[in-house]
Amino acid sequence: MNQRQNFDSVLAEREAYNAALAGARRRGGSRPALLAVLVVLALFPLVQLTGANWNYPLHLMLYSFMYIAMTSGWNILGGFAGYISIGHNVFFCIGGYVSGMLLASYGISSFLTAPLAGAVATAVGFCVGFITLRVRGPAFIISSIALLMVARILFDNWDFVGGSNGVSLPRMELPVQYVKIPYYYAMLVIAVASLVASYAIRHSKFGLGLRAISQDEIKAESAGIDTRFYKILAFAISAFFVGMAGAIWGEYMTYIRPNIFLIILVAANMVLMCILGGKGTVAGPVVGTVLLVAFNEFFVSQFGASQINILGTGIVMILALMFFPNGIVGTLRRMGKLPRILDWD
Amino acid sequence: MPSGSALLEVRDVVAGYGRGPAILTGAGITVEEGRTHCIIGPNGAGKSTLLKVVCGLLPARAGEVVFDGEPITGLRPDQILRRGICLVPQERALFPDMSVRENLRMGGYIIADKADLERRIDEVLEAFPVLRERGGQRAKSLSGGEQQMLTMGRTLVLRPRIVMLDEPSLGLAPRVVNQIFGIIRLLKDKGITVIIVEQNAVVGLSNADLGCVLDLGRTLFEGPADGILADPRIRELYLGKRAGAA
Amino acid sequence: MTDILQILLIGAVLGGVYALMASGLTLIFGVMKIINLAHPIFIIIGAYVSYWLFTLVGLDPILSMPIAMIVLFCLGIVVYKLIFEREAASARYSEMTVLLTFAVALSFDGLLGVLFGNTQRITSPSYAVEAILLGDLFLPKGQFYAGLVSIALIVALAAFLKFTRFGYAIRATTQNRDAAQLLGVNVGLVSTVTFGIGIALAGASGALISFIFSFFPARHWEWIALLMSLIVLGGMGRLMGAVVGAFLLAIVSAFVGSYFGSTWSMMTFYLALFLILLVRPQGLFGEKME
Repeated sequence: MNQRQNFDSVLAEREAYNAALAGARRRGGSRPALLAVLVVLALFPLVQLTGANWNYPLHLMLYSFMYIAMTSGWNILGGFAGYISIGHNVFFCIGGYVSGMLLASYGISSFLTAPLAGAVATAVGFCVGFITLRVRGPAFIISSIALLMVARILFDNWDFVGGSNGVSLPRMELPVQYVKIPYYYAMLVIAVASLVASYAIRHSKFGLGLRAISQDEIKAESAGIDTRFYKILAFAISAFFVGMAGAIWGEYMTYIRPNIFLIILVAANMVLMCILGGKGTVAGPVVGTVLLVAFNEFFVSQFGASQINILGTGIVMILALMFFPNGIVGTLRRMGKLPRILDWD
Repeated sequence: MPSGSALLEVRDVVAGYGRGPAILTGAGITVEEGRTHCIIGPNGAGKSTLLKVVCGLLPARAGEVVFDGEPITGLRPDQILRRGICLVPQERALFPDMSVRENLRMGGYIIADKADLERRIDEVLEAFPVLRERGGQRAKSLSGGEQQMLTMGRTLVLRPRIVMLDEPSLGLAPRVVNQIFGIIRLLKDKGITVIIVEQNAVVGLSNADLGCVLDLGRTLFEGPADGILADPRIRELYLGKRAGAA
Repeated sequence: MTDILQILLIGAVLGGVYALMASGLTLIFGVMKIINLAHPIFIIIGAYVSYWLFTLVGLDPILSMPIAMIVLFCLGIVVYKLIFEREAASARYSEMTVLLTFAVALSFDGLLGVLFGNTQRITSPSYAVEAILLGDLFLPKGQFYAGLVSIALIVALAAFLKFTRFGYAIRATTQNRDAAQLLGVNVGLVSTVTFGIGIALAGASGALISFIFSFFPARHWEWIALLMSLIVLGGMGRLMGAVVGAFLLAIVSAFVGSYFGSTWSMMTFYLALFLILLVRPQGLFGEKME
C-alpha cells in the first residue's frame, strides 16, 4: 500500500539525518595555542625593562583585560541566560567604591580587597536580582536601566563617599615605567578567572539550565529547572567579576567618582563587546572586546572628541545587531570556519 | 444547489516555516463551489499549514493555488481576502478588548460601504440573539461557545466565497460543537463554500460533503465524505476501528 | 492646605506632559511589541527643532509643535524602514529590538552632541516665566499651557484610535496581530505608520517641554527610566494605563520633591518601578504577560 512506502522512506531519511549529526565531530579548543597566548601575555610587561616607553600599550592591554573580565561576566547573565542588562556597570561602581574606600581609609591595596569588593557586588546582585528577575526580557532590561539611574543618584548624593566629587586615592609608590605593571597582572588574572568561570559554567549542568532558560523559560520551568534560582545565581556571579574589575580600576585611576563608573558608555560597551564577539559563547567577549577597543582607539586618534565616540559606538551596535546578531564567534561557527583557539563552547 | 465546479484548486504545494523543513511535500485539494469540505489527517500532517498557504499567510515553495481560474499563489493575505477567501484560525481569533459590536465591525474591515456594513452587522445580531444581548461586552468576557459564535458571526459579516475553519470544535463541549456545525450549515445555506480542518475526523466528515485525507504533507485521498467514512482502510488508519459506532 | 493643593496642581499639569511623552511609547509597544528606548532621544530632537525655530525665527514653541511633529513623523518612518522593519519577521524579536532601540538612542545622542554640543538649552517664550494666579495658588503659565496641549493631544489620539478606520486597524493589530491580518489589515503598513505617529507624539512632547526643562543630548537617559516606570506601572501597551501612571507618578514625585529635594523626586519613578515589579509585575491595568 503506498501509505507504507511513504512511511518507510521518511523513516529512512530521518535515520540518515540523525547519523550525520552524530558523526560530525568537533575538535574543541586548542590548549597549546591558549597556553602560548597566556605565556606571551604574562611576559609582555618585560618590555618595559628595555627602556623604551611601552606604557600606553600596557594601559590599552590592561584596559582590554578589564573589559574582557566584565564582558565575560556580563555574558553569564546576558549571553547564557539571555537576560540583557544595560546597567551592569552598577557593580563596576560598587566594586570600585568598596576597594577605593578601604584604600583611602585604611591603605589596604585593592589587590587584596578585590575579592571582597566582588563579594559585596555579588551580594547586591543577589538582592537586586531577587526583585528584578521576576519579570521577563523587556521589563528586565528596563529595570536594569532604572538600577543605573538609582545608583547614579545615590552615589552622587552620598557624602560619605564624597558625593559627585568622589574620593581621591593614594598612588602606588613605583617608578613611572613600572607603575602600570601590577595593575596589568591584576586585570589579567581577573580576566582569566572570569573566562575560566565562563567556560566551567558553559560546560556544566548549570550552564545547560541557563541555556534552556534563554531559549524558552516556560519550557525550562516545566522541565523541572528552578529558573528563579538559576537566574539569580547567574546574576550574582556576573556581578562578582564586574565588581572585581571595578575594584582594580578604581585604584588604577587613583580616583573614585560616579562619573567614571556610572556612565552609560561603560554599560553600552559591555553589551556591545559581548554581542560583537558572540553572545553566549566563551570566546566571544574576548573577540568583541579586542575589536571594540581597537576600533575606539582608531576613532579617538582620528577624531578625538567624545560625542563622536558615542555616535560611532551606536552605529557599530546597530550594524552588529542587524547583520551579525550571533557575533563573530557565532557567525564563524555557523560557517564552520571557527579557528580552534576560539572554540571553547 | 449550485453544481459542482472547481472554485479553488490547490496543486502540489510544497511549504514550510522559515527556513525549516518542508511540512507540505505535495499537497493539494479540489474545492467545489457551495460544498462543505473536511480535511482530516494526523497531527503534523500539514492540515493547518495548507490553509495558511491558501490564504497567503505562508508562502508556497512550489506548487500553485488557483481561485476561480486565477492564480493567487504569493498574494498578500489582505489581497486574497478581498478576492473572497477567509481563514478563521484555530484559537485566539477575536480581539479581546474590543466589544462584540466592534469585533463584528472589524470583520467587515474591507467593506467600503459603511451603511452596508451596519446592515450586515444588524443581520448577524438578528441571527444570533446571544450576541446582541452581549453587544457592548468585551469579547474576552464571553464564554468559549459564545466566542466561537462571535467568530462565525464575524465571518458572516464578511460574506466571503470560501470560509476555511481551522479546528472549529476544538475545546468545546459536544452540545456546543453541534451549535457550531449548525452555524456551518447556515454558511452553506448562504452559498458559502466551507473548508474545515478537523482533528475529530468522524464529526468533521459526517458534517461535510467532500473529504480530503492529508498525511506526511501529502494528499492521500480525496472524495465524497461518506465514502471516506465507509472506507475500511482509512477507517483503520485515521478513524479508529470503532468509527462506525461513533 | 494651600501648599498641598499647590503641589497637586503642579504635579497634575506635569502629569499631562509625561502622559503625552508616554503615549507614543505605549502606542509603539502595543502594535509592534517594541520597547522603544530611543523614544526620549526623539523627544529631545523635537525639543531641538522647536529651539532652533524659536532662536532663529522667533516661532513660538507651541506653534512649532506641528512642525516638530511632521519632522519627527518622517524621521520615525525612515528609522523604522531602515532598521526595524526587517526585524519584525525574526524570531528573537523582543530582546534584539530593545537593544536596537538602545543603539539608535546612543547614535542620535552622539549625533546631537556632535551637531549641537552639550550646552543646556531651553526656549524662552514670554509665558515661560509668567504665572497664573488662582487665589493663593500660582500656576506657571508655561507648564499650564504644556499640560493643556498635552491633554488635548492625548484626547485627540484616543478619539483617533476609537473612531477612525485606521484607529480600528491599530487597535486590532495591537490586540491580535494575526487575526487582524486575516481580516485584511495590512499589518506592515499599520506598524510603519504607527511608529511614525508614536515618534511624532514624541516630537510634540519635545516641543512642549522645550520651555519647561532645560535639555541637552545626554538628558534622554534620565527620561528613559522615567518613561519606562510610567509604562510598567500602567501596564505595558495600554494607553489608559500610561496616562494614569503618568499622573499618579507626577503627583507623587512632586510631593517627594517638595519635601525631600528635587534630586529625590526623580527617584520616585525608579522606586515605583521596582515596587511594581515586586508587587504586581503586570502593572496596574495590564494582564499577566506570557
